[in-house]
Amino acid sequence: MLESLQQLAGGFGIATTLPNLFYCLTGAIVGTLIGVLPGIGPIAGIALLIPATFSLNPTSAIIMLAGIYYGAMYGGSTTSILLNVPGETASVITCIDGYRMAQKGRAGPALAICAIGSFIAGSIGLLGLVAFAPPLARAALAFGPAEYFSLMVFGFIVLSNVTGASLLKSLMMALIGLIIGTIGLDPVKGDARFTFGSMSLLSGIEFVAVAIGLFGIGEVLSNVEKTAVLLDGKVLVPRLRELFPSLEDLRKSIKAMLRGTLIGFGVGLVPGPAPVIATYAAYMAEKRISKHPEEFGQGAIEGVAGPESANNAACQAAFIPLFVLGIPFAPPTAILLGALLIHGVTPGPMMIKESPELFWGVIASMYIGNFILLLLNLPFVPLFANILRIQKRILLPLVILFCITGMYSVNNSVFDIWVMLLFGGIGFMAGKGKFEGAPLLLGLVLGPRMEVAFRQSLMISHGDFSTFADRPISLAFLLATALFLIIPIFRLGLKRPGKGGASKGPAPTN
Amino acid sequence: MLKRLSAILFVFFVAGSIPVHAADFPTKEVQVIIPWAAGGATDLIFRALGATAGKYLNKAVVVVNRPGGGGAVGYTDGMKAKPDGYMLTAAVTPLCILPHQTATAFTYKDFEPILNVVSDPSMLLVRSDAPWKDLREFVDYAKKNPDMITVGNSGAGGGVHLVALAFENAAGIKLNHIPFSGGGPSVTALLGGHVNAVSVTPPEGIPQIKAGQLKIMALFADKRLAMFPDVPTVKDQGINFSMGMWRGLAAPKGTPQDVIRKLNESFKKAMDDPEFQAKAKEMSVILSYLGSKDFGALMAKDDEFFGKLIKEMKK
Repeated sequence: MLESLQQLAGGFGIATTLPNLFYCLTGAIVGTLIGVLPGIGPIAGIALLIPATFSLNPTSAIIMLAGIYYGAMYGGSTTSILLNVPGETASVITCIDGYRMAQKGRAGPALAICAIGSFIAGSIGLLGLVAFAPPLARAALAFGPAEYFSLMVFGFIVLSNVTGASLLKSLMMALIGLIIGTIGLDPVKGDARFTFGSMSLLSGIEFVAVAIGLFGIGEVLSNVEKTAVLLDGKVLVPRLRELFPSLEDLRKSIKAMLRGTLIGFGVGLVPGPAPVIATYAAYMAEKRISKHPEEFGQGAIEGVAGPESANNAACQAAFIPLFVLGIPFAPPTAILLGALLIHGVTPGPMMIKESPELFWGVIASMYIGNFILLLLNLPFVPLFANILRIQKRILLPLVILFCITGMYSVNNSVFDIWVMLLFGGIGFMAGKGKFEGAPLLLGLVLGPRMEVAFRQSLMISHGDFSTFADRPISLAFLLATALFLIIPIFRLGLKRPGKGGASKGPAPTN
Repeated sequence: MLKRLSAILFVFFVAGSIPVHAADFPTKEVQVIIPWAAGGATDLIFRALGATAGKYLNKAVVVVNRPGGGGAVGYTDGMKAKPDGYMLTAAVTPLCILPHQTATAFTYKDFEPILNVVSDPSMLLVRSDAPWKDLREFVDYAKKNPDMITVGNSGAGGGVHLVALAFENAAGIKLNHIPFSGGGPSVTALLGGHVNAVSVTPPEGIPQIKAGQLKIMALFADKRLAMFPDVPTVKDQGINFSMGMWRGLAAPKGTPQDVIRKLNESFKKAMDDPEFQAKAKEMSVILSYLGSKDFGALMAKDDEFFGKLIKEMKK
């Protein structure tokens, strides 16, 4: 630990040289911009800039590319809050309360809390990275297919009802997500499923298209339905002193940020769609703990602070398997691995020994980068918040345009744009029936991974189902899932004789 | 009105299809379709090569990622591109695998080979603490316990999966193949002890071998790896089998031969450029130049090989 601190100090020496500070700043700015634009994410951003780093030394190159990655986590929430368009997969949940806050004229505090929460989570996450990286990486290896499957089942059941609207409707949406997730190449046999001969459907339905469609386009459509008077009458112009969060906001958020950081860091170590699960879990946790769960969905600041911190912490945690094991657990770290290789650095067990100046230089630059991002993002808050001053009849078509260009940039695919528009229509219709989009997205993310893990486990065990119960970690998750399902029924049974069963939970407010 | 329109269209198409000549090729930037997402081995190699080739073509080489369908989307786009040499496609082993697996619009015959750039050997990796000391013990164990050794691969029906299947046939053993979503996850599962072996191509697994966590159980190459000269190939050990993954460049069918020649020359020069050589060495890929004719022959050979193998697998 002491040795680590010493080397970290050396790392700061490397990271604070003028050129490296410049590359860190560049990465942070590019990352923020990429995060703000819907569709285009850190993966595309890093890939585009890799050739530009050929002439740099490896440390500077990785400092800049890593900056893009965590910078995107800062910017991703901006369009979620202002326009209900999730900028990245990790900021879907932020739409729920962030957008409500903005509609109430509190876009400023929501944006500022995102930046502060990201900073706190990023800084704490880095401490975790420095102190515990090797043991945590070894713990992550304990997750094989069986453990992974049980974790996914747990996540699916527990997080489906994330918004808490109606368990039945949420499960229906989550199931639709699962079904959509089966489209494409069968992950085990390689056969095409539900593609109806279409090449574009072979790779399945793009998550970002569904997310932007359900949330962003759906919201635009439901605005279109309103009369002109109602539309422009609703523009709430934020006043200057309301641009930044009040002390009360900060007091409410700080614990949510810390909890979000913890959840995000833990989930970030698991391979796969960590940021999505982390944000859902953080939101769920905040809602459960809150004394005012009815505020969630109506613009609760904790509902923004928790998930936004969680996705940044998950992003820092994702560097652990990359640096310590040499294995990327998620697509953005996969492309960072590629960038490292192209610069002649092989991440993995030998990296800390072989290129300590790079390892510690990059870690130190992440501290600095997080600070730069905070300073960079706070002044943007008034600017972004003022976007809402634009009349809706002008803003809404612009949002559609933004979504379409952003969507195209993800895979250079026109087909994805149609998928997005289709899900825009579905989102609009679903909203009328008070069906939520978030559970569908969860099903879409977890479904294919759950299926692969399930079939892998059974292939390894030659079809023996006891493999899920024989492994302690897997068993623990399955038992937790069972408890989660049984306890409410049990409670209901206890209440029914005495109270007539009418008093389960607070009555839903409109 | 209709007549005039068709006249305009006629002029437009005829003018548009006047053949390009190599003398003034290229007059604009050359695009290379990568049928996979950014950041994979193919993507990185052609980004590096493209950056260098731009010097010799006097125009920029731009990489375009068209992921989807395990490569099918990108190859369909590449096949449909105008055959003028401005839209090339990275021709990688799956080009000869996909058409046998699903109904694709393309086969390798829809492309004009330009050159091969990289040939990576496939290999089976195990953990350093695995119970088998060498290939003989591994094969003996597999013969006595058919279907018991679990072998991870990067995706069902993908290159390394098929290589492992072909090796089974060559060695007369039966393995239990477990597909993962990519080479990274399969190597992770091996490190965690959830599978007994994995089938990969470099650079996957190289850092873990260097760190002593994994070792090469079987190397399916004609030559030993320069990085690990002590590791014998399976041929050295009496099993006549070698199979690798190739990555080259192709243009749509019908591209003029002089344009192909110009592209071949420029990319060949880029391959020999010390700048690219250094990058390739750092990525631990094995450069292996083949001219357009030889590359075409290699594609034809592997297409037949994988076609047979997949037919057997689907039985």
